Amino acid sequence: MAKKKTDQKWDFKATKTLLQEYLAKGTEKKDINLPDDTIKIDDLNKKETLNRIYKMVDGVIAKILSSGRPTIELPSRSSSNIIWDEDNDLLLLGRQIMEKQFHSLTSVADITRLMRVLEIVDELLVKDIHATKREIFYTDVKLFTDQKNSDKSIEDVASMLYTTRNSTHIVAAPKGTCVGRLRIRDRNDIIDLEGLGSGGWTISPMLDNIEILESDAEFILVIEKDAAMMRLAEARFWRKYPCILLTAQGVGNVAVRMFLKRLSKELNLPVFSLVDSDPYGHYIHSIYLRGSKRLSYESPFLATPNIKLLGVLTRDLDAYNIPNEVRLPMTKVDIKRTKDILNEDFVKQNKEWRDDLNLALKLKIKAEIQAFSTHGFEFLTEKYLPEKLSTGDWI
Amino acid sequence: MRIFQKKDGGIVQLIGKEKMQDWPVELPLVFIEYIRDKQLGTYGDNKVEKEISAYLDEILKDVAIPRLISVLEGDDQDEIILALKRIEELSKKNIEMARPIKPYLENLLKNKNKNITDIAQSISNNFQKAERRKELAKKRSIMRDKENQFLAGKISGEEYAKARKEYLTLKE
Repeated sequence: MAKKKTDQKWDFKATKTLLQEYLAKGTEKKDINLPDDTIKIDDLNKKETLNRIYKMVDGVIAKILSSGRPTIELPSRSSSNIIWDEDNDLLLLGRQIMEKQFHSLTSVADITRLMRVLEIVDELLVKDIHATKREIFYTDVKLFTDQKNSDKSIEDVASMLYTTRNSTHIVAAPKGTCVGRLRIRDRNDIIDLEGLGSGGWTISPMLDNIEILESDAEFILVIEKDAAMMRLAEARFWRKYPCILLTAQGVGNVAVRMFLKRLSKELNLPVFSLVDSDPYGHYIHSIYLRGSKRLSYESPFLATPNIKLLGVLTRDLDAYNIPNEVRLPMTKVDIKRTKDILNEDFVKQNKEWRDDLNLALKLKIKAEIQAFSTHGFEFLTEKYLPEKLSTGDWI
Repeated sequence: MRIFQKKDGGIVQLIGKEKMQDWPVELPLVFIEYIRDKQLGTYGDNKVEKEISAYLDEILKDVAIPRLISVLEGDDQDEIILALKRIEELSKKNIEMARPIKPYLENLLKNKNKNITDIAQSISNNFQKAERRKELAKKRSIMRDKENQFLAGKISGEEYAKARKEYLTLKE
């Protein structure tokens, strides 16, 4: 049965207050000071990346000439070298360095693949074109044998050059979409993200071609699911409430996270996430918040440490009268994952987050964003989100 | 980003002009035109609209024009053609946007490259058309006054006929 439409006016007071706080702070503190025991990487332009490659190759040549036994050094990406930086709330790579030898039987395949990827990166940069990870694998199937190997070499090359993967012009396939109060430039074209229909703009993995031109948005909302994004897009949510909506259909890939980071850094707007009330939703939020362990060397360019978990919180289920029939029981895997998240240092330090996860464990329930449809299709856009953004009920 | 505060607590942000120094030469003009045509009327705040309009003028004066001039005064024929093509498009849509390069047209019309002289001639023609339109609008207004004066018996038929003839000659 269709529910009565709410005509309540929302003032978005809490979100506006947060925006004013950000504006007052300005952008001067946006540059992150990393701890001494972590490595610093740079987002480089084409010329700078090429220079690093040439410098690295010069080093190899020098070793060949001096000892005849060249080696290359790169930061270790093992879990023991991943550090949580409490001050900046980021997962970072420590200073453990590993050495790969050209003359060792155990590393010869690995180093051959690495040098092949380096050669491809050089070609991409010289020609000023981009390639996906899949395309890199297909450039030399015999050598890579499995895409896992080429993917690993790609990450090795980026960390060896102390730069982001995007700086090597190797990109992920387009995945996420963005819509709302934003105008960007893609080379010579101006793109209006309000005028692309409900489908929005597919976030380009070639972010070096993208520049933010103009926006009158007051906040950014990251949405886990396509279905929820569709609901907001159909309601033209950004017209009523000036915002930018973004979805990655699950965990954001590098392009989505990097684009969100850029939006957050350049526009200095409050960022919120809307995910399912389950451990996977919380995990997705944590990836946007602190970065992933696998790509910890890129965290400063991928993580958005000021992102707030707007919902769906476990406490929302009672607060918004979500009936028992649309709540789902937690599985054993869900319970284990929730406990794993609770064990993360950055969750231990966040009481509100911890309380919500403990509540989920106590009740042993989870729910999808779509559960709000039980109160009518417009409930999400006309009551839940505006109310939370007005009252500041987020973590 | 350049931030403009709205009365309702909202904001509008525009890219800083210093970032435009690396843009393709015609792009600052395209940006100015885009914001003026598509966005300026949507902000719903007169103060912000005025401030942004002033900022766009600043971009025009400090970035767009100096960059165009440096290209037009340079030796790279391909770059000159590219810039002129863009200016030609702009002159069709809004002649005022192209006015800063008017003083350079005379030299460009003498250029040995036919492509350059052709586009420069086209831009020059657009300026002439715009001038004629302006003059015609002025005469039309005078003609309307004369008509009213003639109908009120304030001027003679001869005087009215003279004004009418001037107006029609210009119109043709």
